Amino acid sequence: MDYYLNLINTIGIHTLLGLSAYLLILTGQVSMAQAGFFGIGAYTAAILTVIFEWSILSAIGAAMLVSGGVAFLVGFPALRVRGLMLVVATIAFSEFARMFFYNLKWRVVRDGAEIGPDGTMGFAEIRYFNDNGWLNWEVTIFLWVFVAVVMALIWWSDKTRIGAVLRAVGEDELAADSTGINVTVVKIAAMTAGGVVAGLAGSLYAHQVTDLDHHTFTVLLATFAIAYPILGGLSNVFGTLIAVLFIQGLLVEGLRFLGDWRMLLFGALIILAMNIKPLGLFDNQTIRILRNALGVKRRSGSV
Amino acid sequence: MLMYSSMFRLNVKEEIKIMKRFFKGVSVGLLGCALMFSALTSSADRSVKVLGWGAQSGPLKSFGVNSETALRSAVAEINAAGGVKLGDGTMVPIEVIGYEDSACKKDQNIAILRKTASTTDAIVGMGTTCSGSCQAMFGVLQKKVGDASDSGLQMPILADTCIRPGLAKISEWAFRNVPNEIAMYDALFAWLSQQHPGIKTFSGGTETDQGHSFITHTAVIVQAAIKHGFEWVGPDVPELGPKVKQGMKELQAAAKSQHWLMGDTNYSVQARKIKKQNPDMVLVSSHPFSACGFLKEMKRQRVKPKLLVGLTSSASQETLNGCMKEAEGIIIPTGFAPITAEAQKANAIVTGAGGFLDLHSAAAWENAFLVKAAVEAAGITAKSDTLAEDRAKFRDALATITASDGLIGPVTRDTASGEASKPYVYVQVVDGKWKVIHDPRG
Amino acid sequence: MEDFWYEFVEVTQTISDGLLFGSTYALIGVGFTLIFGAMGKLNMAYAAAALGGAYAGLAGFVLIKAPLVLVFGISAVAAAVLGYAIYFACFRFIPINNHLAALMASVGGLFFIDEVVVHVTRGSPLTFPSMFGDVFFEIGPYGIRGDLIFVFVIGLISTGILLYILFKTRLGLATRAVAQQDVAARLCGIGVHSTNSVTFAIAGVLGGIAGAMTAAAVGVLSPVMTVPLTIKGIIVAVIGGLGSIPGAIIAGLFVGGFENVFLYFRGIDERDMYVVALLFLFLVFRPNGLFGTAITRD
Repeated sequence: MDYYLNLINTIGIHTLLGLSAYLLILTGQVSMAQAGFFGIGAYTAAILTVIFEWSILSAIGAAMLVSGGVAFLVGFPALRVRGLMLVVATIAFSEFARMFFYNLKWRVVRDGAEIGPDGTMGFAEIRYFNDNGWLNWEVTIFLWVFVAVVMALIWWSDKTRIGAVLRAVGEDELAADSTGINVTVVKIAAMTAGGVVAGLAGSLYAHQVTDLDHHTFTVLLATFAIAYPILGGLSNVFGTLIAVLFIQGLLVEGLRFLGDWRMLLFGALIILAMNIKPLGLFDNQTIRILRNALGVKRRSGSV
Repeated sequence: MLMYSSMFRLNVKEEIKIMKRFFKGVSVGLLGCALMFSALTSSADRSVKVLGWGAQSGPLKSFGVNSETALRSAVAEINAAGGVKLGDGTMVPIEVIGYEDSACKKDQNIAILRKTASTTDAIVGMGTTCSGSCQAMFGVLQKKVGDASDSGLQMPILADTCIRPGLAKISEWAFRNVPNEIAMYDALFAWLSQQHPGIKTFSGGTETDQGHSFITHTAVIVQAAIKHGFEWVGPDVPELGPKVKQGMKELQAAAKSQHWLMGDTNYSVQARKIKKQNPDMVLVSSHPFSACGFLKEMKRQRVKPKLLVGLTSSASQETLNGCMKEAEGIIIPTGFAPITAEAQKANAIVTGAGGFLDLHSAAAWENAFLVKAAVEAAGITAKSDTLAEDRAKFRDALATITASDGLIGPVTRDTASGEASKPYVYVQVVDGKWKVIHDPRG
Repeated sequence: MEDFWYEFVEVTQTISDGLLFGSTYALIGVGFTLIFGAMGKLNMAYAAAALGGAYAGLAGFVLIKAPLVLVFGISAVAAAVLGYAIYFACFRFIPINNHLAALMASVGGLFFIDEVVVHVTRGSPLTFPSMFGDVFFEIGPYGIRGDLIFVFVIGLISTGILLYILFKTRLGLATRAVAQQDVAARLCGIGVHSTNSVTFAIAGVLGGIAGAMTAAAVGVLSPVMTVPLTIKGIIVAVIGGLGSIPGAIIAGLFVGGFENVFLYFRGIDERDMYVVALLFLFLVFRPNGLFGTAITRD
């Protein structure tokens, strides 16, 4: 049970990571900065619970604010460029954040032992959940409440004008601009929201794995962050969840029985998935098939 | 830039209906997958089950391959000799119910650990080699045995290496089979100062983004050399940020050492600085790839120190694969070399099975025998309904074992710190092969 | 005064070492920029294919004792084959406007090639033979690596040949036509897919040479090199201006030189931070790079 709960937690955290990239991808921009925001959230929350002995909720809240703040500041210069340039600018930011963590050393003595981030040695013993006697299922529910709330918020905003504006900017910036939408504000807002969500994901991650170091927050993690919404499709938030299930559930955990063939298939299956379903696993075609299979009648007039 | 299809919209009630049915379907599918994921744990015969893991993909693949081969070979040896004795006197085999790929990634290590603990009958998890992963894994364990307020995992882990100071004290359920690097380098430099009285000065470099290399270089190797009379001739390097301000002795050495990253491709600046210092002895505290890169650059720059000393982890086949010529002469203290009958026999078996025995995988071999010793001291019942008690008994027994047989000599453990003290020899690359140049075992 | 002269020598030596090493970055950058210029897409598997080619060359050396020239030749050909395979697997069948899916598929390609290499070599670093590895010119207080000069020269020659192909042959004309306006190109009877696959193959040749050169310059091949090289290649392509080949070359040298200078003055902990900050500045103040050709495909 513990193993499955752990897997469900991982899926939740990665879904949040994917959703943080999702918002900006809706506006047509790919951001590799999520790894940086994820790391900022992770270290902030961990420092708060370990060194300052804050409660987990306050730590998570503060972490979200900090990553959101950084995302807002990064957005201004970064979003002046578009397309591939933005990819590179955000890679630059994530690498900068990673190097910051590589250098971060803040050791405090507590109960005769040293705790805190120790530069390249990492930040060990982030034991809030265990030290406070949280049971595994309690952690899972706690984590997934956040995931569900974020998913619901994004789902809801997709249905309102917010979603329409985001997608309009993604569809054609010039046209959106000419209808009076301030494109820059929209993109910065999407990046900030993405930063907040990534910070949330990071703070949960830090307490799940109890140990952080700079090796985790690489460009590869940022690639995963954008992989989930791309692989899942941009129709709605469940696409991202399905992509996370596909990658973390099926490819990483489910294929363990293949031994060392698992990682070989990893890349191959991603290539296959993108060729077969270039608009994502949960695109309109899939939705149509599912609707027919589940026997739902379509309201006339809609596509 | 983005090709985006317009989204269809239904009214909310219909969407909720679809979503409900969708989730039913998905849950059924997930359940099916979950059943597929479960490890096969029930075995008709009684046996002591263990599950191992290590890096079998990614650049550290050799760790996992060698450790798995060593573990399985050792277990086969034990079983061929009768197996282990349970609490009620029956002899049963040890069964390695699986060896998983953790890719030296923290989340995968934790996932496999939890999988072992909650879905299998394994009484101990035998992984891994990478110290960063151990740091994470040990963190999810219960810190002190019997602490009811600590909801950490109660599962013994016996890691084959994970060299990094102070890891075992993260949890009482965590054990590892690592040599004591402080003792090894201390003895090495004591011996070197006797053997090579003409060698006076030294300098060196390390990879800073690899925790083990960095901390062993700055806190262990450099200090040991200074202690035995070698003179550090590092240059006057400007302050390197917060590290130096802390004022600790090893940090001064860190500031004056040459630094590179483990994936670097250009070592010219560092090699030239060493050349200018003109030391008699150079320390290359780095894993094979960057150690080889640096050694090759030193050769190009015509830097020819009289003595080269390396990091324990590089006393392996990989160093020979990467830079056999340039590594000629490097001396490394190691916990394994085929110098005893036991070691030679194990080496032959493991090599025959397609792996290599070096200080990492030899620990995996020895761990199998450690498991046997602990099982027999614990008197476990190996029945699935007594799993939790068996694990606790096993942990207690393992914690009290203060002496065991390593491949090249007796291994002692300090029960307070949970750390081992292993015998070691010094090896050197001679004519493209590792050769034992001194055997300090008593 | 003597100290200043010494420092001066050291710094110029550092810059020259960095510049020469930067030619390896330049070649990878050219490959990225070529594909971007031709298709408007980023091939994340490019550096992996380049190193894959280098591994194939190494196999030639180890298995059949191929002479060094042949090793580089095998690397080039193998990387071209890999490049073509990547085009086929990750770009050919994905709708041409869908940049994201192609990007993701090429990421899958990167993972796949890396893992194949790991499987074959068990992740172990392998020594790579070097051309002129023992050649070391000592000019006064300076020392210059002969093999890096060789890399530099080969880099220049390769890009020269590439530019010749692009601007003086029909193939090059077709590539540029497809890059500018693929619909019109198709109307003129130019096969878009066949042209693009040839572009990938040519970029692959360049990549194979770059991979072999980098391996020869370091002396060791290892799968840990893939991701840093990918990132550097993309950074170089962007600083040089996407789609500009001369830009990528100059940017590669520039990044190599700067990197080394930062290392010399500030140490390893800050080296990469400065490189990244430099990139960020470029993107903010000069987003089209050094010689951006302003290909804005929408």
